[in-house]
Amino acid sequence: MVQFLRFAGIRAALGFLTLCLVSFIVFSLMELVPGDCAERYLAFKNSQGAQISIADIEAERVRLGLDRPFFERWGKWIFNAFQGEFGDSCILRLNINQLLGQKVWLSIGICLGSLFLAYAIAIPVGIVAATSRNPFLNNSLRLVSYLGLALPNFLLALMIMLFSTVMFGNSLTGLFSPEYRDAPWDAAKIKDFLGHVWLPVFILGWSATAFAIQTVRALMSDEISKLYVTAASARGVSGRRLLMRYPARHALSPIINSLGFDLNRIFNELPIVALILTLTEAGSLLIEALARSNDQQLAGAIIFFLTGSIVAINFVTDIALAIFDPRIRRSILG
Amino acid sequence: MTETNIYDAAVDQSAKDAYFTASQGQLIWTRFKKQKAAMVGAWVLVILILSGLFAPFLTPYDPTIAGRDKDYLNGAPTIPQFCDDNGCSLRPFVYAIERERSAATNFRWVTTVNTEERRYVQFFVEGSEYKLFFITFNTHLFGIENGYVHLFGTDSTGKDIFSRTFHAINTSLAVGTIGVFIAFVLALVIGGISGFYGGWVDSFIQMVTDAVRTIPAIPLFMALAAFIPDTWSAEERFFFISIILGFIGWPTLARRVRTHLLTERNQEYVLAAQLCGASSGHVIRKHLLPSFTSYIIVDLVISFPYMVLSETALSFIGLGLKDPVNSLGVMLQNVTSADVLLNYQWYFIPVIFFIILVMAFVFVGDGLRDAADPYGDTKK
Repeated sequence: MVQFLRFAGIRAALGFLTLCLVSFIVFSLMELVPGDCAERYLAFKNSQGAQISIADIEAERVRLGLDRPFFERWGKWIFNAFQGEFGDSCILRLNINQLLGQKVWLSIGICLGSLFLAYAIAIPVGIVAATSRNPFLNNSLRLVSYLGLALPNFLLALMIMLFSTVMFGNSLTGLFSPEYRDAPWDAAKIKDFLGHVWLPVFILGWSATAFAIQTVRALMSDEISKLYVTAASARGVSGRRLLMRYPARHALSPIINSLGFDLNRIFNELPIVALILTLTEAGSLLIEALARSNDQQLAGAIIFFLTGSIVAINFVTDIALAIFDPRIRRSILG
Repeated sequence: MTETNIYDAAVDQSAKDAYFTASQGQLIWTRFKKQKAAMVGAWVLVILILSGLFAPFLTPYDPTIAGRDKDYLNGAPTIPQFCDDNGCSLRPFVYAIERERSAATNFRWVTTVNTEERRYVQFFVEGSEYKLFFITFNTHLFGIENGYVHLFGTDSTGKDIFSRTFHAINTSLAVGTIGVFIAFVLALVIGGISGFYGGWVDSFIQMVTDAVRTIPAIPLFMALAAFIPDTWSAEERFFFISIILGFIGWPTLARRVRTHLLTERNQEYVLAAQLCGASSGHVIRKHLLPSFTSYIIVDLVISFPYMVLSETALSFIGLGLKDPVNSLGVMLQNVTSADVLLNYQWYFIPVIFFIILVMAFVFVGDGLRDAADPYGDTKK
């Protein structure tokens, strides 16, 4: 038990370190961008008719702490970030937590939903594909997974919009019906939400599913031809019992391991799909933050959130593997 | 032993000789040829690349605002036909298109198709000037003498979608090539240092690589792309986007290079070369690099479609390329409006070409991966 806790502790520390490193990369990239918060704010004031001088910009810089050395500002930013405090948005002059609010959790929830959907489809289908000798089934699955690569999620979203507009005269966009948009959460709103959310979940899960089917299939076909499977079937284990007890369990650990990267892939698609389907969560907020107002603070916070949830997923999968895979459990517990 | 048997044996022997003396490239090519899907993909790819390269010749009009048909905005495709109510002709023709505004049309611009007036399709017509391999031409493969022919229709400014599609293929291939090249150089240097030195250098570089891999690349680079000043020219944006794509692609490739170097540098043949007194540079050039060139090529081909698609995604949301550069993303920029979805579905024709392009790359990449695997034959 002590060893297990130590393992978990080391993993958590590594995750923390990764997050620090990531925040450093993100923070310095945001620094590279020309112009800073003080200039933007005052440029905005200038457009409102106020007279702004160089001295004003300098004063604003001091007020915002932008005159401090780079590492000090990074340290402060990361220290606040871990406390869940990201400061004010540069342009909108609003607290970032207030802006993001439930949007972040909504979008992370949608992404996790798509990840879950992807594997709920991919694991059974992949196992069947690996064991079946039916050429028609195999070829059509191959085609689907190639399409998953070639038709990226945002093009799929466009095609679905085109199709539904032409066929039903309704483009299926948005997350809520207009009357529920600002309503508090209750049963009716949740029902309305579920009626809308299936489409983004499906679209975001689409290429993840295609990838996952390929992975599951490859892993299963590798394991099935191994000697221990032959040995087990020689002992009289057969059918589903044989598959589930031996090769499926072996193939599971690499899959659990790759969950973090699948989530990464889904996050990559999120902003663009969100834009097409006019969803109002973090993804499209990110685009808005960038396209309209060049808002470094907000963009940094969103990327930090996304990366943080990937690091968290990686941590959880590491712990889950240590619990469920006896080989890793043995190596930890000695 | 009969004559034929001896002959067969001789053929068999020469086939074996050819097999055992074949270079690695020849072996890969032999295995690649056996795969039908990959061969079809390769042909499609060659055709698409050629049509991208020769886009200005193959398409009738300039894809920028200079080549617009100002009398046919948001126009439906005009398909050349051979027959109509007035009889058939051997030479395909399109109908004349007239645009008028008068009391009869309530003073709005109305476009009508005049089915009485035929305009015949001509080949090798003179048209707008273009540069191909630094020489200026003005001959286009086809066109019509009066007016315009729009195989895929026109967009809201009257630009020919057929011409834009072919130029877009060219742009996507160029962006992809530069992006893949940058990713390749970065991966080779970073992965090479990491794998060749090993030890703490390796651990440190791997930690950084893993951290970079954790960041969702597209949102991050969207953040960077958003800060491109509006004053940049189309060419500057083009190179900036290519560079960004290169920076997205390197970590996976670097990891593969590093893993491969780590296993290879402890092999006996490297030790043998070192014992013979070969320098590090010689070992890397003559022994280590050839041992994984085929893997690298395969990885490059496989990562190519991701570059193309990332560019499309970035341009689509308006953070990538912009007019007058044509790319699929640029062409799709305004298609989510209800107007386009309901009335102008020909805006989506280029998508088909891009799906075919990406599919061709995926098939060729898969085929190459199987062909480059020296143990692929023995497994089956």
